[in-house]
Amino acid sequence: MTSRVLAIVRKETREILRDRVYLGLAIVVPLVVTLLLGLGFVLDVKNLPVAFYDQDRSALSREYMYSFTNSEYFHLVGFVHDPAELERMIQSGRVRAVVVIPPDFSRKLQGGKPVAVQILVDGSFAGRAQVVCGYVSAIDAQFNAQFLSAYLAGKGMVRASTIPVSTEGRVWYNPSLETKNSIVPGLLVINLMFYPGLLAALVVVREKERGTIFNLYCSPVRRWEVIAGKAVPYIGVAFVDYFLIFLVSLTVFQVRFVGNFLVLTLAALLYITCCIGLGLVISVFCRTQVAAMLVTFIGMMTPSMLFSGMVTPIASMDRSSQMISHVIPASYFMGMARGVYMKGLGFFYYLPDFLALLAFAAVVYLVALAGFRKKAG
Amino acid sequence: MSGAEQPVIEVRGLWRSYGRRRKVEAVRNVSFEVRRGEIFGLIGPDGAGKTSIIQILAGVLSADRGFASVDGINVLANPESVKSRVGYMPQGLGVNLYENLSAAENIEFFHELREQPTEAYERNRAELLRMTRLGPFLARRARDLSGGMRQKLALICTLIHLPDVILLDEPTTGVDPISRQDFWQIIRRLVQERKVTVLLSTSYMDEAERCHEVALIHAGAIVEHGDPEDLKGRASGQFAGITAVPQSGALERLQAREEVLSAEAFGEEIRIRFEGKLEEIESGLQGHGIEVRRVERREPGLEDLFLQRLFPGKQPRPMFHLAALQPLERQVTIESDGATRRFDGFVAVDSVDLQVQKGEIFGLLGPNGAGKTTLIKMMCGLLEPSAGAIRVAGFDVKSEKQQVWPRIGYMSQHFSLYRDLTVSQNLRLFVSLYGVRETNFRGMIRSLGLEGFESRLAGDLPTGLRQRLSLLCAVLHGPPVLFLDEPTSGVDPVARRTFWDLIYSLTRESAVTVLVSTHYMDEADHCDRLGLMNQGRLIAVDTPVALKRTSENRSGKLLAIHTAEFRTAFDLLRPVFSGAFLYGDRIHFRSFDPRSDTGQALSLLGRVGITDARISQPSLSMDEAFIDFIQAAERVHD
Repeated sequence: MTSRVLAIVRKETREILRDRVYLGLAIVVPLVVTLLLGLGFVLDVKNLPVAFYDQDRSALSREYMYSFTNSEYFHLVGFVHDPAELERMIQSGRVRAVVVIPPDFSRKLQGGKPVAVQILVDGSFAGRAQVVCGYVSAIDAQFNAQFLSAYLAGKGMVRASTIPVSTEGRVWYNPSLETKNSIVPGLLVINLMFYPGLLAALVVVREKERGTIFNLYCSPVRRWEVIAGKAVPYIGVAFVDYFLIFLVSLTVFQVRFVGNFLVLTLAALLYITCCIGLGLVISVFCRTQVAAMLVTFIGMMTPSMLFSGMVTPIASMDRSSQMISHVIPASYFMGMARGVYMKGLGFFYYLPDFLALLAFAAVVYLVALAGFRKKAG
Repeated sequence: MSGAEQPVIEVRGLWRSYGRRRKVEAVRNVSFEVRRGEIFGLIGPDGAGKTSIIQILAGVLSADRGFASVDGINVLANPESVKSRVGYMPQGLGVNLYENLSAAENIEFFHELREQPTEAYERNRAELLRMTRLGPFLARRARDLSGGMRQKLALICTLIHLPDVILLDEPTTGVDPISRQDFWQIIRRLVQERKVTVLLSTSYMDEAERCHEVALIHAGAIVEHGDPEDLKGRASGQFAGITAVPQSGALERLQAREEVLSAEAFGEEIRIRFEGKLEEIESGLQGHGIEVRRVERREPGLEDLFLQRLFPGKQPRPMFHLAALQPLERQVTIESDGATRRFDGFVAVDSVDLQVQKGEIFGLLGPNGAGKTTLIKMMCGLLEPSAGAIRVAGFDVKSEKQQVWPRIGYMSQHFSLYRDLTVSQNLRLFVSLYGVRETNFRGMIRSLGLEGFESRLAGDLPTGLRQRLSLLCAVLHGPPVLFLDEPTSGVDPVARRTFWDLIYSLTRESAVTVLVSTHYMDEADHCDRLGLMNQGRLIAVDTPVALKRTSENRSGKLLAIHTAEFRTAFDLLRPVFSGAFLYGDRIHFRSFDPRSDTGQALSLLGRVGITDARISQPSLSMDEAFIDFIQAAERVHD
């Protein structure tokens, strides 16, 4: 490294450390966002408030209701006594579902006839409604099986409580099926893309706005020296972010980490380099900080959020979305981060991803270099 | 300087245009040369193309056509190789500084960027710090430095690598007079000691005289070019100043005469350019019952030449007749009693006492950051005074804002009309905002010379016309008091004169009180009375003539020594006359006894063989008077 690169590195570092807004954006904001999203980004649907409109009031109807309230998925809010009250409860959002048991529930069942139970679900949030329907049909199936086997046993046709086929699920890597185990490593990926990337996107354009860019334009400094001098401090900042978010993931969120820290760190470093490079490309081509910010939102944040596999698995996307996910660095690091965290896979398993990130870094830095001209206008 | 010597800067047939399809021609066929050790000034209004020329020479802007070389290097072909030899300071108060770095860190960064040998750097740094007197402020962050100090720090940063060629883009615009003087002394010394070559741009005509050679630029092309003394001689016609009562009648008469080529009011004086006999003009005035109090011949200034070259014919004088002026009985229209404004930690305006009379043009003169804008905003009721009271048109601006606002017009420093509305849409908007009933749009538009521009977007107007439109919008409701905050900055000299004509007609014919702020020292003469502002304080209030006289009484009359060997002469005279400084090719100093000092200086020079020396008594410029007042105020304060 030449001394000119060092001079720029030193100057940039001083500026980051002196500017409270920058320092906040560089260190505090990513941490706070990780904490907030880690706590709030819960995709589990549990403890749904439910009410019952029991028109039968029999032992059997009560048993049917117990099968709901005994699970951790539903939480009994109360009973309704007429259709008007039922409507009010769903409208006000006090309950998300109401189970309507018809007056002839037990009579029909005991008479060996089928009976229809109505489930009214609040569909204003489609994802949740789907989950509710799923839970309901699972609980209902279980009740049916039990009722059926008891009924058959009562007739002496089979031995009591025997169900022909039952499934025993064992979930690998995330046995308790907690979303935080995949969300928090995902947040690491997104936050490292966004905040350091945003700062890097402002770094050249800010000098253009203030006029200090002329110091670089009219000095003998070479273009690669400027790009390198600007990138290094921000890679450093992002690296600090990486360590802090990693620590938070282990301490605050208690995320399972079974992998190799060095492999994750190496992947993170490469990924960060890509993100800063991308920010620099934006910075080199934009003229104002506002434009740079907008481009960062649209060009970096949104695709990383949507196409990296953060929420929707890449495999379930359609072809065009999959193509996008192949050209953004976040999807490579997303796979690596989750894999290292939960599966503990090693370096060689991820060699193709490392190479992909390396290629990406090479391209963005070359583009940034080509775009940076020591000319006004 | 031998004529055979290769020029350090050479520009031939340079063209540069901007915008879609290269429509805006910023530089048009510009050619000039600068020899080693010379200070060359590019002089012209904003947008004349000065910045483009300087940036091309600094290697940071490409040209469309032509040739430009610095130190024998073709800048257009090898822009990078010129960069180690050139120091370029962009336009704006210290815009090349990093706000969050200290002064020392800023200097260090510029040094490291240039990879300069440490020993030479240390020596140069110490030297520059001594000249700028910035040593005590090294630990302070750039953003906490005053405008003048920032500009000096920016200069250090530009000069830290000992460049042989220095390119400075408007280095003194908005800088306080003392820092400006420091600045010129530094440049002078560098030229004298290291024989550096300096190319600078300025929009102040009065700075031209500090250069060895100047080029007047307008609309991208060089209009005139040469030694500033020579240039002034090229103005055709004769010049005189006439003081007559009533002034407006005299002005009208003078403008009607054929042999008077131009006539303009400067305070109570009317300056004319004429052909033929001055006595005839004078008797012509007397024949119409006008009392002529004083007639003096004047030397033409550079601005006169500039105006002549751009507009050879007689200019129609714009007139301004306010349709329905609100009546105002009071004689004192603006009263400030100890007005003070504090922003957290610093005092922007410090107990200002001021009274402005009805129909007066009162000028607030001072550098950027002196508190002019804050004071005007307080007078308009846009900012509340932290202490003291201000009454405008008889109402308190703090408690009776509602009465004040309809009676004032305010034109802010920045163009505040709607750029994407046309001229007439803007006018209609302001008419309905102020609830003006009677409007003679057509007449107003015609009288302001805006005819034909009615359907143009306000944003597309040239700056001079924009300024006039802003003024029109500010006076539509016929306010008896008008506040103008730096209305002429960035406006070319022609448009500036027209603007002053308008202000003059407003005050003389409609008895509007005008309070105007400016940082152009040469505009001061237009005002009836002036308030000099420095660091929030009003340090002097008087007529321009009286201010200069006060300064002369306090510090002596100005003497100028002209000699071809001014450098040797300066070194010789500096120990004897302590306040002596170089002003262009002349040595200026103040004297209480011009006759004996002239004799002493000439005999001193004669002893070392300088026989061509000539001593003149130029009139004191407002700039020099201002510096004198600041120094006097500081002495009182210490």
